[in-house]
Amino acid sequence: MTDVQAIIDAIALGAVYALVAVGIGLVFGVMRLINFAYGELITAGGFTLWWLRDQPAAVAILACFAVVIALSLAMERVAFRPLRRASPATMLVATFAISFTLQSIYLLIFGPRGNPVSTLSGLQGAVNIGSLHIRWITFVSLGCGAALLLGTAFILDRTNIGLHMRAAATDFRTSRILGVRANRVIAFAFLISGFLAASVSVLLTVEDQLVTPDYGVSITILALIGVVVGGLDRLWSATLGGFAMGFATSLFGDLLPAGSRVYLPSIVFGAVILVLILRPPGLFAPSRRPVERM
Amino acid sequence: MPEAAAPALEFDAVEVRYGAVPAVRGLSLRIDRGEFVGLIGPNGAGKSTTLLAAMGVVGVSAGEIRLLGRPVRGRAPEDVARAGMALVPEGRHIFANLTVEENLRLGLAARRGRNEVAQDLARIYDLFPAVRESLRRNAGALSGGQQQQLAIARALLARPTVLLLDEPSLGLAPTVVQAVFGVLHEIREQGVTILLVEQRAEVTIRAADRTHVLANGELRLSLTPADAGDTERLAAAYLS
Amino acid sequence: MSAGARARIDTVVEFLGPALLIVLVAVIGSFTSAAREIEFRNALVNAAIVIALYVFIGNSGVISFGHISFVAVGAFLAGVITIEGQSKQFVLPNLAPFLKHTTIGSWASLGLAAAVGAAYALIVGIPLMRLSGLPAGIATFAVLGITYNVLRYWDAIGPGPLTLSLVPETTTIWVACGGTLIAAAVAFGYQKSRAGRMLRATREDPGAARAAGIDVYRQRLLAFTLSGALAGFAGGLLVHLFGSITTDQVYLNLTFITLAMLVIGGVASLLGATLGALLVSGLNSFLSDAENGVDIGFHLKLRGGTSFVVLGIFMALVLILRPSGITGGRELRLPRRRRPVTKR
Repeated sequence: MTDVQAIIDAIALGAVYALVAVGIGLVFGVMRLINFAYGELITAGGFTLWWLRDQPAAVAILACFAVVIALSLAMERVAFRPLRRASPATMLVATFAISFTLQSIYLLIFGPRGNPVSTLSGLQGAVNIGSLHIRWITFVSLGCGAALLLGTAFILDRTNIGLHMRAAATDFRTSRILGVRANRVIAFAFLISGFLAASVSVLLTVEDQLVTPDYGVSITILALIGVVVGGLDRLWSATLGGFAMGFATSLFGDLLPAGSRVYLPSIVFGAVILVLILRPPGLFAPSRRPVERM
Repeated sequence: MPEAAAPALEFDAVEVRYGAVPAVRGLSLRIDRGEFVGLIGPNGAGKSTTLLAAMGVVGVSAGEIRLLGRPVRGRAPEDVARAGMALVPEGRHIFANLTVEENLRLGLAARRGRNEVAQDLARIYDLFPAVRESLRRNAGALSGGQQQQLAIARALLARPTVLLLDEPSLGLAPTVVQAVFGVLHEIREQGVTILLVEQRAEVTIRAADRTHVLANGELRLSLTPADAGDTERLAAAYLS
Repeated sequence: MSAGARARIDTVVEFLGPALLIVLVAVIGSFTSAAREIEFRNALVNAAIVIALYVFIGNSGVISFGHISFVAVGAFLAGVITIEGQSKQFVLPNLAPFLKHTTIGSWASLGLAAAVGAAYALIVGIPLMRLSGLPAGIATFAVLGITYNVLRYWDAIGPGPLTLSLVPETTTIWVACGGTLIAAAVAFGYQKSRAGRMLRATREDPGAARAAGIDVYRQRLLAFTLSGALAGFAGGLLVHLFGSITTDQVYLNLTFITLAMLVIGGVASLLGATLGALLVSGLNSFLSDAENGVDIGFHLKLRGGTSFVVLGIFMALVLILRPSGITGGRELRLPRRRRPVTKR
């Protein structure tokens, strides 16, 4: 594999990680809540695709979006709304608990062995451009990733609800005083974040076809680390951090010699610790800004 | 009570506690429509708390607060805002990373009905020319006085019945303070009821129809503009 | 009764809370069948782990996701170093020479596990204790990730991805009881000490504590190291309980469960840590039984795997409905008689 190819693959994976980062970052912005259970949304999407594997791809994908968005909104309404006043520690462990519960439910329903998804397996095919051998999924990931990120940016920048979300993320209390509806803004954040999770599950299942109960866990943990390392306080720095994480994971995975490749997680985690010690607000964060709470 | 006769804002034996500590005790205050009422007092007297309680930001542990005759106790701040009460918070709290225009648009969130927004904007630009000139700039780049104007403009865009202001003169030069108070008079002329919380006793007593002194969570004296020079009475009220 | 005597009685009662719970569980467990008894021993070792967690998280208010690293290191070390010599050479051929040729008794292995847990925690804590809040959580999580990764692939210090077995099973019900009591005593001694009280002050208001001259970093590092020692010790108890250990047993699942036990019991008290661990362990056992069919007035049989779901929902419910945990962060107190307040 040439270096150019490795870089293109890394950018594509970075794009997918960036989507996860936005999903996590949006909810954090309005609620100051780190949703560990985000990965379960991705897993739910994967299982939906498997469940409807005999249906036409369009039907399966539509159902995937419906299920994941519904689950995301339900999570907010049932589990996170009562927790809005809790301490950060309690919130963290609670999202952990919900993640654990959902994984156990998946285990109960679908069993421990992976279920194969074949919805868009056509995208596994590749095309040759010059000396490069690029799979269709790479193009689709790049394209969809870019489109979704731009779409989210558009919503945030140009719409009223987007303005309300940005205000809520900056200073929730003052926003409410001005009339911004807390419940609506938070629900909308979960809506978009669910939409993004569904997209990730569709893109991810093309290459990683076996959906297990813990399917979404590792990408969520890594993207979350990327978000914190990139800078939690601003959405764009969080997204950049997520992208960087995906990019680095893919690139180092390809470029490391085979023997030490098993220690890739340790190298990544070690780098994370280094960044957190040397620059706690995050690599891409601007100067230190106080974080307003609700 | 029919709405027409109801006072604009009424505090009825209101008590607010932070944990076990009472910040406001037995506060009863009636403000009729179109009145301009001032609230002064020493630091920690509970003035800000009174406004925050009216807005639903802090909880009321006893008593009732009524906006146009309807109780607002226990309602979320955004609901109180949509019912016609606007608060210009202490420290202004404008969104520094958003443009001036976006800050103003946020003020529309509590507004009932999108008609006549253009007219209101025109009137606001008349009152606050500095705001009109800096629409595209980031609000964080404005001076303190300009930010204060923006905060008031933003609150006005919601077409509130009652306007609450928490120490608008904080950190502002005397000339700027005069300008702000001048604006308050114009706003009152347009029919908005005003409850002003301030540190600067003199200028408040002169401006408001009546001014009350809040000390230690309780309402003490009531002063009119005629009492503006009477420092003895004022000192007694603060220290009692 | 003098105020001093009253205070001493209060202190004793405070410690009796967790201590009696531990002893009670051990006593009940000693009267059950051999198969059952393991569950009681497991509950006690869980309590030891959660107590270790509490020493840091409860007193400092900083969340650490990495403490199971210290349990892991303690478990693997205590395990490897107590396997009988001949079998060890055969089963773990790539082991470093020191580990390959040394075999010590179980008691000594517990002490070694505590020492290594403390050393690892100290090394990790020196850079990390400057952090708080979310960065601290992420950084300690990264430590967990590194520990898991290294233990899984470095066969000079352990079995790698394979199960470490043939470890002497010396954690009897009374060893578990004693070990957990020791952990509770150390935790209690610390929280009553000046250092412990200083750290608790930083939890309520770090700014004020700093202004009062408390060295936040130093106190946190001290608590972190102490809790690392206790965690390593608990890891030793763990490996001698099952006679085996794998990296997956001391990774995400255990991290989540022990953290949830602590929060459910009440993050800020030793009683909370102990109660949470024992209660949730008990609930877990009951639910596992129910999967095989159990009679509680009526016959209850849950589908395999339901126990985790119920446990997760229970944990989420407690966190939502009573966020400060069952104990509300309080220790056991004797009820006080109200004395009339004299007006001046």
